[in-house]
Amino acid sequence: MVAAAQHPQIKLLTYCELDEVNGYIGNFTVSIRQKSRYVDHDKCTGCGTCWEKCPSKITSEYDQGLGTRKAIYVNFPQAVPNKPVIDAANCRMLNSGKCGICQKVCPTQAVDFEQEDSIFPESVGAIVVATGFDLLAWDKVYGEYGYGKYPDVITGLQFERMSNASGPTGGKIVRPSDGKEPKNVVFIKCVGSRDESKGKEYCSRTCCMYTAKHAHQVLEKISDSQAFVFYMDVRTPGKAYEEFYQRSVQEGAQYIRGRVSKIYLKGNRLIVKAADTLLGRPVEVEADMVVLATAMIPSEGHAELAQTVGITVDKDGFFQEAHPKLRPVETNTAGVFLAGNCQGPKDIPDTVAQSGSAASKVLALMSQDELSMDPMISNIDEEFCSGCLSCQAVCPYRAIQPETVTYRQGGQTMERTVAAVNSGLCQGCGACTVVCRSGAANLKGFSNEQLLAEVNAICR
Amino acid sequence: MSIIQGKNKQWQPLIVGFCCNWCSYAGADLAGVSRMPYPPSIRIIRVPCSGRINPQFVIRAFQRGADGVLVSG
Amino acid sequence: MKRIGVFICWCGSNIGGVVDVPGVAAEIAGISGVLCSTDYKYMCSEPGQDKIIKAIKDDHLDRIVVASCSPRLHETTFRKVLERAGLNPYMLEMANIREHCSWVHASDKEAATQKAIALIKRAVAKVSQLEPLFASHIPVTKRTLVVGGGIAGMQAALDIADAGQEVLLLEREPTIGGKMAMLDKTFPTLDCSA
Repeated sequence: MVAAAQHPQIKLLTYCELDEVNGYIGNFTVSIRQKSRYVDHDKCTGCGTCWEKCPSKITSEYDQGLGTRKAIYVNFPQAVPNKPVIDAANCRMLNSGKCGICQKVCPTQAVDFEQEDSIFPESVGAIVVATGFDLLAWDKVYGEYGYGKYPDVITGLQFERMSNASGPTGGKIVRPSDGKEPKNVVFIKCVGSRDESKGKEYCSRTCCMYTAKHAHQVLEKISDSQAFVFYMDVRTPGKAYEEFYQRSVQEGAQYIRGRVSKIYLKGNRLIVKAADTLLGRPVEVEADMVVLATAMIPSEGHAELAQTVGITVDKDGFFQEAHPKLRPVETNTAGVFLAGNCQGPKDIPDTVAQSGSAASKVLALMSQDELSMDPMISNIDEEFCSGCLSCQAVCPYRAIQPETVTYRQGGQTMERTVAAVNSGLCQGCGACTVVCRSGAANLKGFSNEQLLAEVNAICR
Repeated sequence: MSIIQGKNKQWQPLIVGFCCNWCSYAGADLAGVSRMPYPPSIRIIRVPCSGRINPQFVIRAFQRGADGVLVSG
Repeated sequence: MKRIGVFICWCGSNIGGVVDVPGVAAEIAGISGVLCSTDYKYMCSEPGQDKIIKAIKDDHLDRIVVASCSPRLHETTFRKVLERAGLNPYMLEMANIREHCSWVHASDKEAATQKAIALIKRAVAKVSQLEPLFASHIPVTKRTLVVGGGIAGMQAALDIADAGQEVLLLEREPTIGGKMAMLDKTFPTLDCSA
């Protein structure tokens, strides 16, 4: 993170949204919205006085609801940039006009309640989309695990926050309900993954490995602890992965093949009922905590982003690569590349590899001063074009725009609208030629005349 | 081709295939690479996208005696 | 008057073992506008390419049909040949008589030969209609936008920036790091994620 922040060639635009993308490969114009932070980051030194004094306590999204933060906050002590923003929805000053403590205590007068969103344009030649994933909201669908009503049934990401030394518990694994150390920890894999009825059809690919890691961490950090893992299959296709899984088994993680059918509360412990499908008998485990390996889904807002950037999504909402084997980081929009989980669930090694691949595609593009464009693209004859713009509606690449042309008629200069093709955007599919009623649109290299001549010749 | 000819066992239909360069044309290439035999009655015309296929091309094929048209993309 | 040259490839025995290539060449030579119809063992090889270039110059050909493998394989190769001979590279049409003919109709050589003729006639019909095309050139803005500041975005940004290119790294949250920064140790090496 620090490497990215300090790199002289990287400009960080945090707390920003991508509002609009126009243009084409090599020549994109994007509109970026800087969301209001209510803190002037040029003045702020990140001293932390403001968030110490802020009286509002809010559940921390970053800590997955396990900790609290203030209304003026940084997500974690090592955050980059390590300067706060004000959460407008929860700030007393912004909502009721009463408070302003952070402004009073700030030694550099960096707090500015008047700050507004600002929108600015940027020109770029390539776009890498790396918007990542979110976790499936298991508590909306898995009634058998309590719909989220048991505080000690948590997700793998919540477990990560707890075991992270800069997380809400300072690295201690505890039960969210009473803060006590759990002795029996149950892990359930494939919660939402490989479950067509309640979740997703696909495998999330990372859960087998992080569950093995979590089991190892429980056994390592908590003395006399037991870790039970309920699984459908153990999938460890990666270098040193199988060895890692075997290690956690040898350390004592008990793997039980079977789905958990019910979790319920008995006293202050959770009873986990399941079937061991290898032994063919029911099992019951008294657990202090249950960790769910929930499915990875495209991050919130992915559909809107796909629309903005002009890329396609697959049946699950992940961004579609141009070819699953041969063009895994390119999209169908030239100049837009994919990296990481936005394309499909993958772990850190695969993500890093894919990012490198996307970077090399970008660099190949950047190594050219000029791009030579395939001339086999659509051509619209202005004279015949009636300006109906039916072609604009069917163009999948947004390559057709109306254009006003002037012409002379009866000694007068007249104006009319015609369709114009952007040669940078047109991919030469020819959809426009088929809807064109006046025959003004034709495809160079695959023209109507050429194709009809082919049909004639082949049928003779 | 008439129906009477259709009863003749020697008769071979003429099928015109419009295939998208990026998928089914490549698929026909793959069939070749895999040496998957099929009847020689089909003749493929390459198009850049199935969206390029104007209904006029299909009609023209039938007018000129094609027995079938395959649109694939 | 169109001046068409047709070059039919044997592809060793891949085409030549099924299709009667010299017979096809003779048949095609009779089409109006075809000034030259010839065959060669490997048209994509250097002698094959030279044969095309020589014919273009000798017979003043202005458009070329190459009947060989799939255009998806060698269209670029033969466009370059045309360019070397001083023709517009887009005055080329290929007839796919290998993937779409000899390889799939190997059991019926006569039918394969007839189909090869039909496919080449199609290409001749198309090539007659071709017009020179010229590639347009557009400038490249040497700057990249990376959307998302998690591990994927940061890594891509660093790789691009390390090559000396400018990067804008956009993140909707107040801080970069994404989900990865939330993690504790990461498998399989159990090192930290910062």
